Amino acid sequence: MLKVFKYTLIDLARNRFVLGYALLMLFVAEGLFFVEDDPTKALLSLVQVVMALVPLIALVFTIVYSYDSLEFTQLLAVQPIARRSILAGQLLALCTALLVAQGFGLGLPLIVHLPNMAALMLSLAGSGLVLVFTALGLLIALKQREKARGVGVGLTVWFLFVLVYDALLMALMFSFSDHPIEPYVVPLAALNPVDMGRILVMLQVDLAAMMGYSGAVYKHFFGSLGGIAVAAVVLLLWFVGPTLFSFRTFRRKDL
Amino acid sequence: MAEPRITFTDVGKRYGKLWALRDLNVAFHPGEVVMVIGPNGSGKTTLIKCLLGLVRPTTGSITVNGEVIGTDPIYRKAIGYMPQISQFPAALTIGQLLDMMRDIRGLNEAVIDDRLITELGLDGQLDKRLSDLSGGTRQKVSAVLAFRSKPEILVMDEPTAGLDPVSASKVLGHAAEVRERGGTVLITSHLMEEVETLADRIAYLEDGQLRFILPMQEVLQSTGQQRLAKALPLLLERKVTTGMNA
Repeated sequence: MLKVFKYTLIDLARNRFVLGYALLMLFVAEGLFFVEDDPTKALLSLVQVVMALVPLIALVFTIVYSYDSLEFTQLLAVQPIARRSILAGQLLALCTALLVAQGFGLGLPLIVHLPNMAALMLSLAGSGLVLVFTALGLLIALKQREKARGVGVGLTVWFLFVLVYDALLMALMFSFSDHPIEPYVVPLAALNPVDMGRILVMLQVDLAAMMGYSGAVYKHFFGSLGGIAVAAVVLLLWFVGPTLFSFRTFRRKDL
Repeated sequence: MAEPRITFTDVGKRYGKLWALRDLNVAFHPGEVVMVIGPNGSGKTTLIKCLLGLVRPTTGSITVNGEVIGTDPIYRKAIGYMPQISQFPAALTIGQLLDMMRDIRGLNEAVIDDRLITELGLDGQLDKRLSDLSGGTRQKVSAVLAFRSKPEILVMDEPTAGLDPVSASKVLGHAAEVRERGGTVLITSHLMEEVETLADRIAYLEDGQLRFILPMQEVLQSTGQQRLAKALPLLLERKVTTGMNA
């Protein structure tokens, strides 16, 4: 696995898309800190950007890279190496490359402009989303034979998680606002990793209005430490679940 | 004849409703080159992919060196593979790719056969990125990878496609060497005249079934032809007329 990881990472380190991602994040983060006088306000804007952009980039890049590497993956699969090692090496390399790019593009400006707990949490939440959506992207690429269809499914998944899900959840909560539905909203919000990422950050910033309805409920129920723990576990499950499915799919897949 | 190195027993492969390979029973022996031919969609690639473990047969089993192949990848240590399409990680150099495959296969320098690197003129290009290579040069890299571990079993899918005649001749020369040292070579190719001088037997697939597998000399003698391209249609016509199968 480590051999596949090492050389895939070398390849990804020179990938223009990965370098572009790092520069884009750097440009956005620096730009927001530049135009906002209050770094906390810049952070809040950055949260919205990260929650939308990171899942999109991780999904689309992973799907496209996986399809473009198909012939080489076939070549690896005819070597005396287990398929799980190939997939683990590739997944690890993809995650590492995107995390390093994000660390450079997002982590550095945060350290420079706002070295506090909320900024750290944004970095961690962004990293969690990279892992989750890279795992989801890999699963989509393995399940769909055609590249165009894979990208289409990826964009649909992104649209559902980033836009549709929260809108539906809010509509549900407003519709039943006269009923005690909080116990049901908490697990419903937990189904969305983007909400989880947002909650992780917003629990560190005392601005409940920015949290969205589901985030507010989380704060009410768990307070800071409890919320962080639950959100972190949910993000972990969102990474582990698709990854396990990917391994199962790849083991049986005709290449 | 020696024990078969590769045996297909009742092997079938179905994609959805389509059987790409059906009831394949065939053995390949040490020290022979078998040319697998047939029209597009006849099952040649599926046969190769089954042997390489890229696809799982729907029915039957495949034995390599006496062991039924399953999920354990270790049997592939014996196999060198040259695919028809050579796509590599774009940002790696040729040298890095060779190192990667050496590491993955666990080869030590003493057993590596790197003669093809020089013979195909790649020795001055090891620092070149794979994305900068032409299709033909990528195919040369692919050939180097296939032969590097001195494989017992060599599988080549359209090996001369994209190669210049001199390079193609060198690659086929190395395939002949594999046979000389007791290896088994399977080649699929549409360019019969390039490969026919090398082949000991011809396996003909059609609609996923093995129509026949015959010694090359028998194919030529029985049809009175000198070249496979002319002998094959005559043989197929005869076999259709007589209703013979493999």
